[in-house]
Amino acid sequence: MQKLIVVVVALLAASLPACNRPAPGTGRPKVALVLKTLNHPFFVDMRRGAQEAADRLGVQLEVQAAEREIDVEKQMQIVENMIQTGISALAITPSGSREIISALVKARDAKVPIIIVDTRLDEKAAADARVHAETFVGSDNYEGGKLAGGYLVKATNGKARVAILEGIPGHETGDSRLRGFRDAVSEAPAITIVASQPANWERDQGFNVFQNMLQAHPDINAVFAASDLMALGAIEAIAAAGKTGKIRVVGFDALDDAKKAIAAGTMDASVAQFPAEMGKIAIESAVKAMRGEKLPLDIVVKLAMVTKDSLAKP
Amino acid sequence: MTRPGLSHARQLGTLLGLVALSAVLWALTPHFLTVPNLLNVAQQTSINAIVAIGMTFVIISGGIDLSVGSIVALSGVTLGMALQNGQPLPSALALGVGTGVMCGLLNGALVSWGRLPPFIVTLGMMSIARGAALVATEGRPVSGFDPLFRSVATGQLGGIPNPIFATMAMYLVAHVVLTRTTFGRYVYAIGGNEEATRLSGVSVRLHKTMIYAVSGVTSAVAAVILTARLNSAQPIAGIMYELDAIAATVIGGTSLMGGEGSLSGTLIGALIMGVLRNGLNLLGVSSFLQQIVIGAVIIFAVLIDTVLKRHRN
Repeated sequence: MQKLIVVVVALLAASLPACNRPAPGTGRPKVALVLKTLNHPFFVDMRRGAQEAADRLGVQLEVQAAEREIDVEKQMQIVENMIQTGISALAITPSGSREIISALVKARDAKVPIIIVDTRLDEKAAADARVHAETFVGSDNYEGGKLAGGYLVKATNGKARVAILEGIPGHETGDSRLRGFRDAVSEAPAITIVASQPANWERDQGFNVFQNMLQAHPDINAVFAASDLMALGAIEAIAAAGKTGKIRVVGFDALDDAKKAIAAGTMDASVAQFPAEMGKIAIESAVKAMRGEKLPLDIVVKLAMVTKDSLAKP
Repeated sequence: MTRPGLSHARQLGTLLGLVALSAVLWALTPHFLTVPNLLNVAQQTSINAIVAIGMTFVIISGGIDLSVGSIVALSGVTLGMALQNGQPLPSALALGVGTGVMCGLLNGALVSWGRLPPFIVTLGMMSIARGAALVATEGRPVSGFDPLFRSVATGQLGGIPNPIFATMAMYLVAHVVLTRTTFGRYVYAIGGNEEATRLSGVSVRLHKTMIYAVSGVTSAVAAVILTARLNSAQPIAGIMYELDAIAATVIGGTSLMGGEGSLSGTLIGALIMGVLRNGLNLLGVSSFLQQIVIGAVIIFAVLIDTVLKRHRN
């Protein structure tokens, strides 16, 4: 038994260097950034931007995330635990637009200002629980979807048979992108959406789902994926079917892998978000909120279309 | 049958582990040993602790239940959809819990009468129940419930959140069942020596089926609390809960070989996992490192157990 104790103590001691606790008495205000996950480049970039802003503004940044993006219960636990550490502000990318609200009620009760990043809260649920966020920092996913749709209409001269790879159903981010995309392509009567299925944001599921779609609809000549990981999966499925170059692929996020694929010509375009910028603005907003400054309801972070041409430009 | 002397010493060891862990966290962060934080930990532990009750029954009987996380999801969405369709709270709860019982009975029947390995049966159920939850909801979360239902998880009595009471009540009942009833004795007997138990005239098939039904019930109760806590029933809820429950059970000293174990140990095991997660959050340890620490604690807890046992023999 003593051995077990020794082991536990040793493990905790070993994990200490990774803790960024303040030296006692430094008294720098602490801002929490709770992400959906850290195993996605998007959120890693967001953390980088947030850290730079925190260093510049002299606040201590605590970043935590659930192991899996969809684990909203774990995210709630993290928020509850962070509140216990006496944070001065909370910036969060909600894993569930409605589900996270119970945890935010606790932040409100602890008088911690809340900054919502990237994924909006469900407005009605937030209002019912009387949870008020200081601001929302994010890109307009609907506009991003429209941008992607508009690109596809132009690139195909308004004539295509399109497949859609959706994110996890019920996620505001993915739903908005899809609505934007559908609204944009609906203006071109010769564009038909032949299939639309969830691939749950994942690369391997993007591969499998798109492979199945190709079986059912061999005439598909364009695909829109609500995220690049799914698009990259679809590209592999296209290669496996020997149809590389015959199917236009438009993704979302402009990940490094996607940019490489665009440069190589296996992918057409991707909607770029600027997660580092989001992280930076989130922390700047958190600091303003701590000082009691009034913030705008929405802070929109720009979007851009990444194509082979745009990559060729310096 | 379990040897009381050994199992008490083992439990004391696990408890000391929890105390030591808490002492370390208390020394490292001023935020750990506060009443609100401890209530937090207890509440966060409740779902895993309740799922682990059924897991303990199953593992003591020499089986395994991989389907608990999916049953949490399926029971949750059944409950959620019943509430949304305007069912009164009692009948919605009955439907949710009934779903868990049905899944458990099916697991148990296939293991006993179908003579299939529990690993295979519950692996299949894990996929079936998950799929059923996704089909029923078309993959979307079900939400927007009566505030009365939400109070299951958000309400409190004397400052203590309801899930903590629910957990204590579940453990009390389950402990009595496991240690003071014939059924409980058969759970140990089946795990200790199934053939001998059968030869002594016990209906092993019937009791095994009931053991898996217990696991279905506890998963469903956990689903009720989870659904109320999230104010939403998610078909993707409960992924990997089986592993958390198995971890709590084995940290608590229940042998994967069957025939040995206790619910008090499992409760302490669940608390160790909860305290560890909470403490690592408070300390700001990165989520990647947290997984390493948790995994190492699971392995070491069981390793020490094995070494001690070999030493005694």
